Amino acid sequence: MDKLDAIAARVNKDFKRYQAMLMVCTGTGCVSAKGFSIRDSLKAELKARKLDDRFLVVGTGCNGFCAAGPIIVVQPEGVFYHKVKEADVAAIVSEHLVGGKVVERLLYKDPSTGQVQPKMADMGFFNKQQLVALRNKGLIDPENVEHYIARGGYQSLRRLLAEKDQAAAQEKVINDVIASGLRGRGGGGFPTGVKWEAGKKAAIKRGEPIYVVCNADEGDPGAFMDRSIIETDPHSVLEGMLIGAWAVGSRGGFVYIRKEYPLALVRLNKALADARTHGLLGQRILGSDFSFDVKIHRGAGAFVCGESSALMASMSGQAGEPRAKYVHNVEYGYRDKPTILNNVETWANIPIIFEKGADWFSSLGTKGSSGTKVFSLVGSIKNTGLVEVPMGITLREIIEDIGGGVPDGRKFKAVQTGGPSGGCIPASCLEMKVDFDSLTEAGSMMGSGGMIVMDDRTCMVDVARYFVDFLTDESCGKCTPCREGLHAMNETLQRICAGQGKAGDIEFLEEVAQTVNAASLCQLGGTAGNPVLSTLRYFRREYEEHIRQKKCPALVCKALLRYDITDKCTGCTLCAKNCPTKAITGERKKAHSLDQAKCVQCGVCKDVCNFDAVSLRSES
Amino acid sequence: MGAPVKTAVKKVPFTIDGEPAEAKEGSFLLAALREAGVSVPTLCAHKELTPYGVCRLCVVEVEQKGRRKLVTSCNFPVRGELKVHTASDAVQKHRRLVAEMYLGRWPNVPVVKEVAKLCGATSSRFRSALTDENPKACILCGHCVRACKEFALEKVLHFAGRGIRRHLTMPFNAPDKTCIGCTSCAYICPTGAIEIVDELNRPADPKMIRDAGMKVSGEMSSLDRSQFRMRETGTANIVDVMDRYDLLPVHNYRFGSHPDTHKIGADILRKKYFTQGMSDGCWYGCSMACAKTIDGFKLKTGPYQGQPVCVDGPEYETCGAVSNMGCFDGDFVAEFNFYCDTYGVDTISVGTTIAFVMEAFETGVIAEKHTGGLKLRFGAGGAVLELLHQMARGKGFGVDVGQGIRWLKEKWVREYGADKKFLDDIGMEAKGLEFSEYISKESLAQQGGYGLAIKGPQHDEAWLIFMDQVNNAMPTFEAKAEALHYFPLWRTWFGLMGLCKLCWNDIVPADNYLEKEPSKVPGHVRNYFKFFEGMTGIPLDERKMLDQSARVYNLQRVMARMLGTAVEAHDAIPYRAMGPVTKEEYESRAERYDKQMQSLIGVDPTGKSTEEKMRITRAYREEQYRKVTQATYAKRGWTKNGVPKISRLKELGIDLPELVAIVKADQE
Repeated sequence: MDKLDAIAARVNKDFKRYQAMLMVCTGTGCVSAKGFSIRDSLKAELKARKLDDRFLVVGTGCNGFCAAGPIIVVQPEGVFYHKVKEADVAAIVSEHLVGGKVVERLLYKDPSTGQVQPKMADMGFFNKQQLVALRNKGLIDPENVEHYIARGGYQSLRRLLAEKDQAAAQEKVINDVIASGLRGRGGGGFPTGVKWEAGKKAAIKRGEPIYVVCNADEGDPGAFMDRSIIETDPHSVLEGMLIGAWAVGSRGGFVYIRKEYPLALVRLNKALADARTHGLLGQRILGSDFSFDVKIHRGAGAFVCGESSALMASMSGQAGEPRAKYVHNVEYGYRDKPTILNNVETWANIPIIFEKGADWFSSLGTKGSSGTKVFSLVGSIKNTGLVEVPMGITLREIIEDIGGGVPDGRKFKAVQTGGPSGGCIPASCLEMKVDFDSLTEAGSMMGSGGMIVMDDRTCMVDVARYFVDFLTDESCGKCTPCREGLHAMNETLQRICAGQGKAGDIEFLEEVAQTVNAASLCQLGGTAGNPVLSTLRYFRREYEEHIRQKKCPALVCKALLRYDITDKCTGCTLCAKNCPTKAITGERKKAHSLDQAKCVQCGVCKDVCNFDAVSLRSES
Repeated sequence: MGAPVKTAVKKVPFTIDGEPAEAKEGSFLLAALREAGVSVPTLCAHKELTPYGVCRLCVVEVEQKGRRKLVTSCNFPVRGELKVHTASDAVQKHRRLVAEMYLGRWPNVPVVKEVAKLCGATSSRFRSALTDENPKACILCGHCVRACKEFALEKVLHFAGRGIRRHLTMPFNAPDKTCIGCTSCAYICPTGAIEIVDELNRPADPKMIRDAGMKVSGEMSSLDRSQFRMRETGTANIVDVMDRYDLLPVHNYRFGSHPDTHKIGADILRKKYFTQGMSDGCWYGCSMACAKTIDGFKLKTGPYQGQPVCVDGPEYETCGAVSNMGCFDGDFVAEFNFYCDTYGVDTISVGTTIAFVMEAFETGVIAEKHTGGLKLRFGAGGAVLELLHQMARGKGFGVDVGQGIRWLKEKWVREYGADKKFLDDIGMEAKGLEFSEYISKESLAQQGGYGLAIKGPQHDEAWLIFMDQVNNAMPTFEAKAEALHYFPLWRTWFGLMGLCKLCWNDIVPADNYLEKEPSKVPGHVRNYFKFFEGMTGIPLDERKMLDQSARVYNLQRVMARMLGTAVEAHDAIPYRAMGPVTKEEYESRAERYDKQMQSLIGVDPTGKSTEEKMRITRAYREEQYRKVTQATYAKRGWTKNGVPKISRLKELGIDLPELVAIVKADQE
């Protein structure tokens, strides 16, 4: 029997030995809520009670339902425990594992129906998802290569390396990736197979080495898809890179990963080391003639370094600045050699295409956007977390069915997709299908998959200001429209939010945003006008209200707010004590008054008032 | 090199605003637009620098495969089907707004005002707290950064800070000690933001010098890659070229090429050996930077055996000398180079002398008993190094070899009874100096270049192989004589001025082939004249330059005459430099020699023995050499015996009584 099969058989047999396996989420979210301690005390408890030969504790990558963390899933039955604390460990062991009775209080209740949902499969958050890139999510220990192998990992690679006619097989792999319809998950949506083909052609034509690179420089605020994939299943990314490298004839690869991702880095390093000891990386992989290795390059935290040419400049030791891409990276990339750059999620999709076939993959999703997409669902949403859904699913399904909708009885207002330079999509577009082309049509973009839900307490001018401010800070400053245009838009938006908007501001913003989008050097600048353009497109009235009536209808822009103490005031003095600027005065048991000249609109008075006696308005 | 470079130009047709146009495939659109007379505003483009694409003012709309997109013309390569729209609404709108951005940030900088006006922007809505009223403000165009990197091969200047905090600086915001003060950055700055505070040499017209210097630097950074690759490989770039043209002095100048040349060729040096390629100490700020270095080379022999050392080189001549000794091995080249440098001996003289010793050893003129047991066959690298170490220690056979070829010939004839004529034919020296590393058999002009050089057969005075043999640029004796008059004087002039000659013809202008006398690289000669005039304030032309040199050149010849040499007999060269000495040599190129016998000498070679053919060839070639010598003397204003005529000295204003006394007896 082959070495990989032997490992798979041994591990699977081993798993069967256990009565149950406890999958403790140790993704970054749950780890920040003591996921590691829970995993370790569970292990200790089982050991102390001599139960560790009957029950196995596995620290997995991110489960996805981050809002419910820390999470333990008891397999094989799939019982889902949420918000677990270290103190709950003893109960889970004695009641559930020993007593055979689930611990009711740790089960998840559907917030809308109040119904208890003991199993993952019953939960709305999970049952509309389709796991392809995250196929091993919650099922394996990401730091154990044997777990990945036991789930059929590296079989695609092995099969391909064993093909008799390697050249033909390599050609076929590229054609299969084209046929699968896989498009780049980093945001651009460029057909992956076409990129590979062009890179290979360029390398052969120029007689130069070719590199493959994994872009793990996820920098969008609120996005954590790539981090989670690496933390959950690093070998799927690695196997994808190996298949790609083999197909295009590369001997060297890189992962460009953010410095701010310590856990992902640990797991990636472990994966590389394990792959090397198992003959899956390095010289003559799995006994074939194929040799390949991967180096890690840590990004230093510049958003623009997620842009392909800036990333490659940074990797080469240059300042992380983009260049014009009229000559593509596939021809002149890293150190001017042909380079294939794909995002983490794109690479993670590769092995399964060769496990289940290109036809299978292309049957998922929509015609123009096949497969699935991982989104990080954040903001004003009940079920914050990581979801993977087939392309073509509607925004409403993601936000309401999976995400559980907007909490606290608020009203959905917009969803921001595509990262800082994406756009805001309003409620009227909720039936829109989520795929590369529809999002672009709506004035936003797929981006790498960040999805920020906003409710009616969100001011869209402020949102535009926030993202433009972020981009102003992150613009590398190399080209004029991005550097000067963002600064001008930022100043204008700051002014509008500060109540100093004037006639012509909207037209100026529109004009600048269009030129920034059209004339910038790279895609950071090329989409930097989107926050302004998309909010103007759907929420122009809010801008007008800010400028003409000096009014912020969502009650966000401080300079446009007015706090007043109403006749409900009982004179308890709480507000006056807490006011940082001493704007509130009044005698005990008598109605207080607020000096508008001193008020800084911090809202503390309203927060502390027990009698609803502080009113908040935004009116001119 | 001196080979006029002609590049195959493939032009692709496209349209500019509906009008047909064409441009070199892969060239950038901006140049084509300007050539077509379209005015395109730019602030970051510069014709001598690689495009940067940051000001975004040169945007145009291109239409390819039915899709229209806005691109920057400065770095957009022309290829495939292409329609360009230079004045569409989108182009005008975006240009105007970008220009307005510039005007808001730097309202008083003249170039900004000028370009903004072209774009239709006269006032700006982009004024803010960042607005800089300084008319000499830095506008972040990056000219200086690129000039530093591309001209001086340094990276002293760069931008720091992201977004609106972007600013020009040196590493760690401190004056950088690697800055060599080449002033390229200040020269190329369009706003005057960088000022030169020091003019050390007080030249008459610094701008004239910089203009010409910038032209050299610009060509260097843009053309070298497609010409001689001096920046990557230095002079060693021609090792393979010489082999290809049968000019490498393989095995004591017997054969012009060898199957193993690639083992000491440009590719292997570049890929396996060279670790440094920066400008050398010989000329700070040199944009050619042809000096190459091998770091950490581990020596296998000699006093520093086992130590990692820094090898300064190798250059072409060293590789040529190694081919002369037949030691085709990169490691040997490095080791030989290192020890020659360390011992203070010249790789050319040592290499040529040992090649001569090797031929003598192989033909039985000397044997192991003479060499102290060294088996000095061609290719015997170990024996060569041992001999070199002996030479340095003043021990053994090294003592003899260290005296050079002329001394060895005399000793071997005197003490070993060797055949004098044979040794004179194969001992590659003239005037006591060993030949440099080119085969001159097929270039009469180069034979003259070697033989008629005042200090002996080195290539510095007249290197005419390419012009004569490869390009056949001087078919007549008159033309060859003219070259043997002009080039030695021109090359002497570099020496007089203390200027490097490599940026004269080791890079040539892209349109050099259009010149009337491309081998003179007139575009670059004009550069040197500007250097001279800019420094001294005295205008220079070819006539004046030649006279400046001729005074020195003739003075040297007169002095040589005073020392008892410098007549025609001393300008003779060994027959090996003119033609095949041995049967083996003739037969290795028999087809060529036979053909020449038919076409040049007018004798039918059929049925003749090799010896007979050798005799006919030799008689012809010796006669040719004599003729070229006489033609050159006449051109130089010398007597038939090669002595400067008094009338010539008079013409040059150096008819000093002391000089006239020396040459008087030789006058006709």
